[in-house]
Amino acid sequence: MTEAIQIHNQNFKMHSSGVLFWEEQSMLLISDVHLGKVSHFRKFGAAVPQQAVQKNFTAMNDVIDYFHPKTVVFMGDLFHSSLNQEWKLFEIWIAAQSANIILVSGNHDIISPLKYEALGIEVIEELILNSFLLTHHPEERDGFFNFCGHIHPAIKLTGFGRQMVRLPCFYKSPKQLILPAFGEFTGTYTLEAKKDCEVFALLGDAVLPVTLTESKRKGRLPKR
Amino acid sequence: MNRNKLYTIAETWFQAQNWKPFKFQRDTWTAFLQGKHGLLNAPTGSGKTYALWFPVVLIYIKNNPDYQTKHKKGLKAIWITPLRALSNEIKQSAERITKDLGTQMTVGIRTGDTSTKERSQQKRNMPDLLITTPESLQLLLSSKGYEKVFKECSAIIVDEWHELLGTKRGVQMELGLSRLKTISKDLRIWGISATIGNLEQAREVLLGPETETLKNSVLIKAKLNKKITVKSIIPKEMETFPWRGHLGLKLLEDVVPIIDKSKTTLLFTNTRSQCEIWFQKILEKHPEYAGEFAMHHGSVNKETRVWVEQAIRNESLKAVVCTSSLDLGVDFAPVETVVQIGGPKGVARFLQRAGRSGHSPGKESVIHFLPTHAMELIEASAMQQAVKHEAVEDRIPYLNSFDVLLQYLTTLAVSDGFYPDEIYTEIKGTFCYQGISDAQWQWLLNFLVMGSQSLQSYDEYKKVDIEEDGKFKVNNRGVAMRHRFQIGTIVGDANITVKYQKGGYIGSIEEFFISKLTQGDVFTFAGRNLEFIRVKGMQAQVKNSTKRTNKVPSWMGGRLSFSAQMSELLRQELYTATLETSKQSIEIRSLAPMFKKQREESIVPKPNEFLIETFKTRDGYHHIFYPFEGRGVHEAMSSMLAYRISLLMPITCSLAYNDYGFELLSDKQIDIQHVLDNNLFSTEYMLSDLQKSLNSNEMARRKFRDIAVISGMVFTGYPNKGIKMKHLQSSSQLLFDVFKDFEADNLLYQQAYTETFEHQLEEGRLRMALERIAVQGIVWKQCTKATPFSFPIITDRLREKLSSEKLADRIKRMTAILMK
Repeated sequence: MTEAIQIHNQNFKMHSSGVLFWEEQSMLLISDVHLGKVSHFRKFGAAVPQQAVQKNFTAMNDVIDYFHPKTVVFMGDLFHSSLNQEWKLFEIWIAAQSANIILVSGNHDIISPLKYEALGIEVIEELILNSFLLTHHPEERDGFFNFCGHIHPAIKLTGFGRQMVRLPCFYKSPKQLILPAFGEFTGTYTLEAKKDCEVFALLGDAVLPVTLTESKRKGRLPKR
Repeated sequence: MNRNKLYTIAETWFQAQNWKPFKFQRDTWTAFLQGKHGLLNAPTGSGKTYALWFPVVLIYIKNNPDYQTKHKKGLKAIWITPLRALSNEIKQSAERITKDLGTQMTVGIRTGDTSTKERSQQKRNMPDLLITTPESLQLLLSSKGYEKVFKECSAIIVDEWHELLGTKRGVQMELGLSRLKTISKDLRIWGISATIGNLEQAREVLLGPETETLKNSVLIKAKLNKKITVKSIIPKEMETFPWRGHLGLKLLEDVVPIIDKSKTTLLFTNTRSQCEIWFQKILEKHPEYAGEFAMHHGSVNKETRVWVEQAIRNESLKAVVCTSSLDLGVDFAPVETVVQIGGPKGVARFLQRAGRSGHSPGKESVIHFLPTHAMELIEASAMQQAVKHEAVEDRIPYLNSFDVLLQYLTTLAVSDGFYPDEIYTEIKGTFCYQGISDAQWQWLLNFLVMGSQSLQSYDEYKKVDIEEDGKFKVNNRGVAMRHRFQIGTIVGDANITVKYQKGGYIGSIEEFFISKLTQGDVFTFAGRNLEFIRVKGMQAQVKNSTKRTNKVPSWMGGRLSFSAQMSELLRQELYTATLETSKQSIEIRSLAPMFKKQREESIVPKPNEFLIETFKTRDGYHHIFYPFEGRGVHEAMSSMLAYRISLLMPITCSLAYNDYGFELLSDKQIDIQHVLDNNLFSTEYMLSDLQKSLNSNEMARRKFRDIAVISGMVFTGYPNKGIKMKHLQSSSQLLFDVFKDFEADNLLYQQAYTETFEHQLEEGRLRMALERIAVQGIVWKQCTKATPFSFPIITDRLREKLSSEKLADRIKRMTAILMK
């Protein structure tokens, strides 16, 4: 279900749903939920199954029940589009939460901060805690370790027998950890593994560290 | 005016041209004037346009005796062509008749190329004869007041019906016709088709099964005895001839004498990239051809294409490298010789291409077959048999394509709206929807209005509204506009226009290729070396470059499978490999060195043998099976077999197939004895196993992409701006996943499976193939390395996957590659 890592002497848990839990702060980081996307599509005549809407809320409930955080930080792109009916579901959901809720706003968050603040959600550009910098877009800043989202990272794994599989992942470089997208119906972007980075793939019910290997000769034909 | 007088008009015109009407032309006139519908089976360039334009004009003359002085306005006939490039030729032949006979009839074209200005002019004042495409016809149905436009239309002619038949464009045509049957009071429906295996069915699909229209129809065949000679180009050194590959450049010098010997030669390639490469290489090796050597394919700009076509007619070109873009339409009398590079993957297409040469009556058509790898020589030999026996494949029509129906219903809702009961009766009369159930129909209506099957809270789904009197209508202008942009059933990768920075259109390339380029990269396109500068909007800007390059854009092309008959012929050819040389064809004889190599580790199977080879390379464990049944059957069989094996043990394999056999590649060894002991080639539970295997691979997922676009669930973006194709791709994939999780009973999601199953996998043939294997002796060869037979299969990169292992177990053996 979870995989533990230590960064700057702090303890974190990566969860198979794609959220990150900061133990010392009792803080849950959730990135790229994209609420309202399904409804947005439907409003424009694309019949995405409506049940997918409910999935986001149940998934959020599940991880909150699992970690019981004091604070929930949405790392941007919480709401995909302009206001639509899904906002009402969001209001109902917020009303049921006891944790303190913060939104680090992202490029998709075009709904007025006033609307969020009316629900008791603090909207900020970035959050600095000790030596940690929480942003939506990946950022490099001296002296800080950056948690971010936006990319929807995935990794391509290959194996003997020309096997290949693509999975969403946590993507960690020396000064940064990119969170996978949490929401249903959001899609991924495949990143390449680089030296000094660590990758943790989401398998649905588990988080697994990925073995990285130097590239071998590729694409050569077998000898005739 | 009586019929004889009308014939006289026609005959007189023919005499004036120094022609004599063929029997099939006369027969068509008679049937048409008798008010019959029909299908005319005639090849390209046989005078089929005159067979059908004439009676259209004659009927007008009959109905308007004062035709020479007065002009009765309004649409009289529609000519549907699948390729808009052909419309000018068709217009010219129509105008020849209307002018020479002194009528004042007008002829117009309406396709994607027609300007908005001309379109609105046509809307006010329709030409008498309209030449258009299936898509543009649908667009006409999406405009307000369309019923009035078609009211007096007395004929619709669907040209190259065989090209449309096995496609969703064909379904679109069926739907369009079902509407016209109601709104045009005195309509004749005619199709023109080249020879295909299922001509009778082609007529049934065009006219509607069990309809009055079908009963009152004829099938007319043009019997033009044409001698076709097939000559294979045999490699002089078989020892060094490649075992795989698709370019065929090794035999380039053998083509030169063929070109030199004849007036004009067409060299047909299977893909546009192959076309580009051949063009470049021939000019490189033989600069003396410069100026009388050209290239023609669908992505080259229109002006260049028209110029090339004209130059062929003027005999100013020695040779043209082309793709299927020159398969259809226009006659090129000067073409004496045709060269087919690589397997044409279909007898019908091969015949059509052969027919491009020696066009004058009585002349023989000569086609040279240039193999690109050794195994294709077997194909070459089988192709000659096929030509002899006219073993032409069937075009299998679609059934229950709900995506096309949803698009059509939206089209009607966008224009004047529709009443479900009326339309239901019409579509039930079509071939495609003859079996639709009331429940399915209701499902589709719900889907249009609610985007689901029941009203849900907090839902703002918007598309079609039901008005008070029960009319289904689109009232939202945005919905209507988006829909009009998206009418059509061809879903390709998005095309990007290639232009010089200073202006000047060169052609269009799939976005997929452009997206891989970075600034400064040089690639070959339309015979030029171009340096990529940047993408701006949906345009790629380039400049000429002198740098050499081997980057050639690739276009995804469909891969065709051999028909049952062709596969049978292929097997017969192969089996002659074990006979004495005097009983072999020259192609098989020339392959002796390859057969020898094959026998070193394995065998060349005899009719009663089913060959299985296994070996290991650094790619993994290869397990290769040779049913020789054609690609489609192998696709199904490999999927089913892999599934059955996966039940015996947790395994992950990737599947590859060609027309000869298929491969299961895995990271673990599969025990073939175990496979045989468990009787995994049994026909028992074949259907359900095949169906289940589809759930564990990606075939249906890929099919769903087209379905999502055609049904309007995924918007492809406005032309030349807006949403990129990548966005579409990922969102149709995302859609597939959410349907799988939340709405697995959705008819469109289900359709992805049935389509794969019925249209692609040819279940009936699979059963026969398994029955044949059951009576063959199995020969399992454990080889130390790849054999010549296996080579083209194991090097195929387009693969299907199937796994029965837990993801976590698989991942443990996999790694991500580090990029430096």
